[in-house]
Amino acid sequence: MHNSFQQAGNHSNAKALPMRPANKVMQLSRLGSLHQSRLSFMRTLVRRMVAENWQISSPVFDLDEHGYGTVVYQIEAKYGTFSYVLFSHYLDPERRNDRVIADQWDLTMALCEGTVDTKQLDFLRNNVPKQEAGRVDSRVLVLSRANRSARLFEYVVNELAQGSQPDIDMIADVGYLYRTTAAYGSGKLGMADWEKVWTKHRDFARPFAAEMFTCYMLRHFSTQQADYLASQRSPTQAVALHEDIKRYIGIGNSTGLGMAPFLINHPLLINQWIEMRETALATVVAASESGIDQEMLSRFDISVQRVIQHLSEIITADERQSKANIQVGEELQLLHAWLHEQGEVLVKNHYVWASLTHYAEQNWLTETQEVINTLLIELYPELVDGFEEHMWVEESYQVTPEMSVAEMLEVIEQKYDWALAIDFSKYESMGAFWYRSQEKMEPRLGQTNIDMGMEKEMPLGIGRRVRECYDQMYGYNQTCPNQDVAHFVVQNPTFSGIVARIQTMAQSQYGDIRENLVHSDVLPIHLLRCKLSFFGVSKFDPRSRLWVRNTMFQGAPLISDFGKVFADDWQFPVKPTAISE
Amino acid sequence: MKVSKNELLASLKKAFEALGFQPGDYYDAADMVVWLETHGFYGFDRLLAVLTYLNTTAPVHADLVQEDTHNFVLDGKGTSVLLCGSEAVDLIRSKVMKGSCAGLELINCYNRTFIVQRLIKAAQRNLAFIAYWRQLDYCVKVSVKPGAYLPEYQTFTMLQVVDLQSLRIFCGKNLDAIEEQYVTELEFGTLVDTFSETEMANSYRNSVEDGIEIDETLWKTLDTLVARVLVESTDDSRAGAGD
Repeated sequence: MHNSFQQAGNHSNAKALPMRPANKVMQLSRLGSLHQSRLSFMRTLVRRMVAENWQISSPVFDLDEHGYGTVVYQIEAKYGTFSYVLFSHYLDPERRNDRVIADQWDLTMALCEGTVDTKQLDFLRNNVPKQEAGRVDSRVLVLSRANRSARLFEYVVNELAQGSQPDIDMIADVGYLYRTTAAYGSGKLGMADWEKVWTKHRDFARPFAAEMFTCYMLRHFSTQQADYLASQRSPTQAVALHEDIKRYIGIGNSTGLGMAPFLINHPLLINQWIEMRETALATVVAASESGIDQEMLSRFDISVQRVIQHLSEIITADERQSKANIQVGEELQLLHAWLHEQGEVLVKNHYVWASLTHYAEQNWLTETQEVINTLLIELYPELVDGFEEHMWVEESYQVTPEMSVAEMLEVIEQKYDWALAIDFSKYESMGAFWYRSQEKMEPRLGQTNIDMGMEKEMPLGIGRRVRECYDQMYGYNQTCPNQDVAHFVVQNPTFSGIVARIQTMAQSQYGDIRENLVHSDVLPIHLLRCKLSFFGVSKFDPRSRLWVRNTMFQGAPLISDFGKVFADDWQFPVKPTAISE
Repeated sequence: MKVSKNELLASLKKAFEALGFQPGDYYDAADMVVWLETHGFYGFDRLLAVLTYLNTTAPVHADLVQEDTHNFVLDGKGTSVLLCGSEAVDLIRSKVMKGSCAGLELINCYNRTFIVQRLIKAAQRNLAFIAYWRQLDYCVKVSVKPGAYLPEYQTFTMLQVVDLQSLRIFCGKNLDAIEEQYVTELEFGTLVDTFSETEMANSYRNSVEDGIEIDETLWKTLDTLVARVLVESTDDSRAGAGD
């Protein structure tokens, strides 16, 4: 299937090695080791904004001396005009909560199509601060909110007000002035449907582009507000935040279980994301067929060293992640030494990247392997950037009714061998269940026979449902041989959903995550990291097996960089050096 | 009030789940309601008409009661097409994919207009469909070309008596082949009304641009149903979300 996408890259002559198999790629632990790549949605968005020189002004900047009030940014993108409306509120520190169930925030924002007049602004003011408790309309594309970093914000403002730049180590410890806790799009709360966005607003016609832009604008506001408050407090002494520090400041993010069901409920979309990334990887590995040049090898080595520094600057209390960061750093040091020692030989080797990825798979951590894969993709923008236009697919799941039951059983045995290998007679194999809470319908994970709500379980245990379907179908085939799937479904209508899913996904290469998601020891955090890597975040800081903190847009260009020459190498950000005041 | 298509679908899926529908069924049922509403066929009114039945009766699926080389008879046992429409269309598709045209009669069923969405979806597999049913003293005929996103929707006077609660579906590789094979069964009287493709397309375009108008009472009814699939929040359950 991947061959059909080879034309998506800019070099149609490039050959691709065979794609990595699904039984390797779709392991949950590997998905939970992914990093951002050139195809991540933040990277794509930034490339476009810079290349197309989006013009962003603020016709309304109405903040009081405490930084509270209203700001409206007007965005002139390549194909349309948009408004980013932000409300800054006083928030009692006791009420600052990053969970979905919070009901007040420091900032609330909406990205709207077109310009916003006074009437619409009043409407937004009455609804946006309420978030889920309010209603908006189809002129709104994204609704979001953010909380201030209690540790960093006041420190930065005070330093600037005193005429000093903040200590870069303090910045590095946190990485952001605000954390976003949700960015809703796709028609929630009355907003524009995704169908409207991708058919009408070409500037955001890629998955999560509008949501990522909302976070990017939050980052812009965060440093602008810090500058503003410093000048309010000390008009004669204050200095503006240094641009290198501004680039290094990102947006914090806390992601919990709310994101997990998405990956299970949209397997065709996930298949598309993974397939594009894997196609990019196969393409760049193949590109080393007749060797590589010294300049490319140097770029690769520099990026390896940057990742080593990046990992050393991550602060996480999570023991597993901390150990992994150290080990990845050590293994990348080995890679760096190898590149240094073997450089002249490597440039002449055929398929040097194939040799490297093979060696990494045999000897190094999965996280190290995926860092290397990301860095290799980074080396060939001319081969992979075209894949960004293929990150979306219209999802439709449909039964293939004419397929014989015997053939369907074979399909399950071949494509869902991982599900059939699970022993569901063991208690721990069904030791967990997913459900929606009354609190904002928040997805939660319960323990079987201990927590309430099992009768309202969400059907996310795909492996178990496949097993049940297989068993039922196997028995049916014994009594009704030579029958087709349509007749099986008429006799067993409760299986129609899983039959449609199996038959649809059997035609794709990736898609279903090969893990028992109702096992007692399931690690949902891997699901979250997988999706976040496609968003383009960095600095994963797991807070438990259920939620993770991370940083968005750290190292990305500023609005003032739009339209200028741009290297597009802001992944794995490291502390800026030699900041002069 | 106005809602988006996506949030309407999400709400309907959960509401049907609360009514006992299984995963495949609640996806299909939500799609059927939304398609009719967004294309100007009063999907919400039709949903309201069936909600009381669904709320008081466990989900019932149709039984296959007769089958020969080219035809099926399914007994809906008084259920809604929301529950038995998909299996009817899948059955007839299975027959056509292995041969030529096929016909199906779904007896004892209600809310037959919902079938239109299932026909449109199935037509994307390069199949043509004709369906008809009795509506009061008239016959509604729906024709869908292979790959079409909109049907031809016409109302005729009746030439022959049609059972009140039955739905006839015919499927083939193209409309001409169906009309030819089932010529005697597809005879209707005078054309009374046509719901034009332009009207359907405009209705859909407006729903995407401006959202979908829904009565607040119905939205609240859906919310009440959705609440049934939610689990009470406790300190323990908050721990299951990361606290």
